[in-house]
Amino acid sequence: MKKVRLLSLLSVTALVTTVLVTAPTVANAAPACDGKSPIQSCVGVTSDGAPYAMQVPANFNGTVALYSHGYRYNVDIPASIPLIGGYKITNTPEPVPGGNAEVAKYFFSQGIAIVGSGFARQGWNPDSAIKTNVELIDTFKKQFPKTTKVVAWGSSLGGVITQGLAEKYPQLVSAVAPMCMADNIAPQLTMAGDFLWGVKVLFDPTIKGGNYSAGAAGVAESYADLGKVFTVMGKLQAALATGAWPDTSSATGKALQAAGVPSRSALLLLGLMAGLPTQSAHFDSISGPEGALKLTFPLALSPALAILENGTNAAALAVLATQDVEAQAGGAIFDNTKTDYSARIEGERVIYNAALSGNTVIDALLGALSAANPGAPRAVANPAAVAKMNALHVNTGKINVPTVLMVGIADPITPAGASQRLVDLYVEQYAAEKAAARKAYQSSGTYAAPANKLLMLWNTTPASYTKFDAAGSPITSTPAAQGTNHCNFTSAQLVLVAKSMVQASGTGRLPSGGALYTAVRKAGNLSVDKGIRAPWLKSYGNN
Amino acid sequence: MKAMNRRKLITASAVLAIVGLASTALPAQAAEVGVSSTEIKLGMTLPMTGTASLGYNKIPGAAKAYFDYLNANGGINGRKVTLVVKDDRYVPTEAVAKTNELILKDKVMALMAPLGTANVKAVASSVNPARRGVPVLFVNTGFSGFADTKKYPTTYTVLPSYIMEAKIMGEYIKENFAGKKIGLLYQDDDFGSDALAGFKTAGTKFAVTVPYASGSQGAAAAAGWITKFKAAEADVVILFGVSSATSAMLGTAAQLKYAPQWMLGSVGGDATTIKLTGVPAGVLYNAIGFSPVPATTDMKDEYVKLFSDIYAKAVPGSAFDLNVLLGMNTAFMTAQALKAAGANPTRRTLMAAIDSKGATFANSALVPAGYSKTSHVGLTGYWVGKYAPTGDLAPIGGTYVTYTTDSGSGAVVKSTYKRPAMPAKGLPN
Repeated sequence: MKKVRLLSLLSVTALVTTVLVTAPTVANAAPACDGKSPIQSCVGVTSDGAPYAMQVPANFNGTVALYSHGYRYNVDIPASIPLIGGYKITNTPEPVPGGNAEVAKYFFSQGIAIVGSGFARQGWNPDSAIKTNVELIDTFKKQFPKTTKVVAWGSSLGGVITQGLAEKYPQLVSAVAPMCMADNIAPQLTMAGDFLWGVKVLFDPTIKGGNYSAGAAGVAESYADLGKVFTVMGKLQAALATGAWPDTSSATGKALQAAGVPSRSALLLLGLMAGLPTQSAHFDSISGPEGALKLTFPLALSPALAILENGTNAAALAVLATQDVEAQAGGAIFDNTKTDYSARIEGERVIYNAALSGNTVIDALLGALSAANPGAPRAVANPAAVAKMNALHVNTGKINVPTVLMVGIADPITPAGASQRLVDLYVEQYAAEKAAARKAYQSSGTYAAPANKLLMLWNTTPASYTKFDAAGSPITSTPAAQGTNHCNFTSAQLVLVAKSMVQASGTGRLPSGGALYTAVRKAGNLSVDKGIRAPWLKSYGNN
Repeated sequence: MKAMNRRKLITASAVLAIVGLASTALPAQAAEVGVSSTEIKLGMTLPMTGTASLGYNKIPGAAKAYFDYLNANGGINGRKVTLVVKDDRYVPTEAVAKTNELILKDKVMALMAPLGTANVKAVASSVNPARRGVPVLFVNTGFSGFADTKKYPTTYTVLPSYIMEAKIMGEYIKENFAGKKIGLLYQDDDFGSDALAGFKTAGTKFAVTVPYASGSQGAAAAAGWITKFKAAEADVVILFGVSSATSAMLGTAAQLKYAPQWMLGSVGGDATTIKLTGVPAGVLYNAIGFSPVPATTDMKDEYVKLFSDIYAKAVPGSAFDLNVLLGMNTAFMTAQALKAAGANPTRRTLMAAIDSKGATFANSALVPAGYSKTSHVGLTGYWVGKYAPTGDLAPIGGTYVTYTTDSGSGAVVKSTYKRPAMPAKGLPN
């Protein structure tokens, strides 16, 4: 790399970092731009009070990439809470994922501008965020009249916002890329609710797990829940080998313990019935340490450890998103009075039979969790609150413009099944478009084949990745494996998504064939294999 | 959008039609994944290392021995059959990873004889061979559910189902141990569930049933099982588990001088495998066992003779046992399916060949196969034998008495099935 280019890269990095910390200015005013070159930076605030940032290269080619960030908690988190303590609400704009300099560098090298809002309200916000983005696009076009194309992308909840933007305002965007996209609110919070409910009824009945009080009291209850859930997870981790139950366990849990049910099997069953992946950042459910546990570890222990790691990872969002949406909807939104947890795990009970300690234990657990057991009271939702939640933004899954999806196969927070759902719905959509084209041909004599508008990039897990120390203990201090954790993408993968989106915006066609395979191979740990199939979120039933 | 006017469309259709006609007249060309002009590539996952591999790890060598023999005799229409084997250590998630490799990297035409109910089920849900149109030939598990053509449309069973086995055991008990107290040890998963379903259909009443979770079997556990069977005063104890459970039980029972009439399911009844766990074969003596294929010591049987000769040359010094015979038999059936799939076999024609002709494929089994356009059921019965002091299973009275049934409510009947003669040199016609 020449010295000049290296310096240029450094300056780009500095600029992106600067954007992430720039304070907003006056609402709904024209953007304040610094006029600098080679990258001009502008900041401003949309009419709803959302701060935004724009960065426009001197060689701006008319295309702008709009990024929507993911879920940010809408409450400050006390420092005493593990893992996420000390978080303060922030609406700092994010024009590229996490301020990724490589991604910004790619866009600027192509003459593409970047823009992103911090949104006016954090928490579950697609309704307001989509409006914010629409206004932001308009503001950008007015500021930079040379603009011809907008590509939009986003991560997690930002994926929902991006897909929603393309569904409601397809005329505004040329191509989109929802990454590690969340599902709609109901299936997402059902997943969270199922797991929290299970942890509550078996391991600590003082956990509320939902139905939080209004206002500050509800927030305090959610803080308390976070502490309790993390404490239970810690106790389960400590007793993983022995199978002992936390001392906080319910009467139902203690009865299971007395019957010889290991707590790790109970935890695994909760994860499976909620739909958590059985591969996590450090546990592949494949590897075992050399020696006596070589086979026992992956068969009997690793799946439970993966659920422990994924469950701990997802617990904070599960609690806080539930509290947030309940506050928006005005009451309890999780209801499992009619849920058949036996059916939920029908496909997995044989696959993880050893880790679940056999059919007798599985049946004992399902019996304990059944609606017939008064010791495991089901959660009852407030119908008015559910109706209000369902009236919040819901994506239909329609693909209006060229769309690139990317998700980790074992993402524990926004499961790959949310993307799979769009893939499956698009198969139907494409078949209908093809049938319509054929019908049109009958009358017009002209056949216009519908173009493929969907590219699915699966971020796959390595063949095996759990590492062990000399004593045979698993190592959990290494970076999370590819395909695991939430939105755990490399810069190369993000750039591939950006390139694909930009290409489609220019030509109307997504990358395909040899060029796509080469690009995918170079990005690493990605697959476009159409045979990959992730299960839809559990609340959809069997798909 | 790609626009095409009517004239161009008609022209394109005509060209396609001509190409279609022409292709039927062309010589053998590669037109399917895993099929080239010189080779047909198949893939197999099973435990090759670790504690779960004992005995099973001989299956690939046996299958390869037959394919080498086949290839030396011209292969399938001039194509060599090669088998890519991946070690899954009996871990479902690893079976998923290795099967993905077979399909995506090794690009096999079909999967052959994957082993283990949990593994096959995990692969079915995660790798989706059915969605990809990949045939899963002759799975090495007797779980009855894999014959469900709606759930597993590209999967073919070969072993008689565990339900069938339990029904036949129940019938044998009715005929020979009426009034005796029966005990049952079973694996507490789908394997055992099938057994329980079969015994229920057969009307077998148990004095005691003892489930064990997969992976929990060992000498300490076996001592506990024996206590339960003793307490129930079981006269006959059925071991419906894997070989390591049989070994643990028989080894511990021998030490404790506990000697009911043992009855062993076919999965856990292979003497060679039991010996590999350190338990002397003598502990099997006089136990009752079941097998769909001839006794491996029956050198009067033309299949056993041919297969043991081929195997002895291919893998000198390795004992010819039940896993070897079943592995070679599966390879032989696969070869016939490939041959019947036409000059240019595809995944579709391969499955169509089994659907239409699979029930008539020559093979060593002494019971009929149930393949048809609506059924992926493989073999449908067993003969009953007793173990010799050497651990070899032999027919009671020296004559094979075979029973056949289904996985439903059908009766267990003594079979009159006459096995077709082996084709010349044991090669597909």
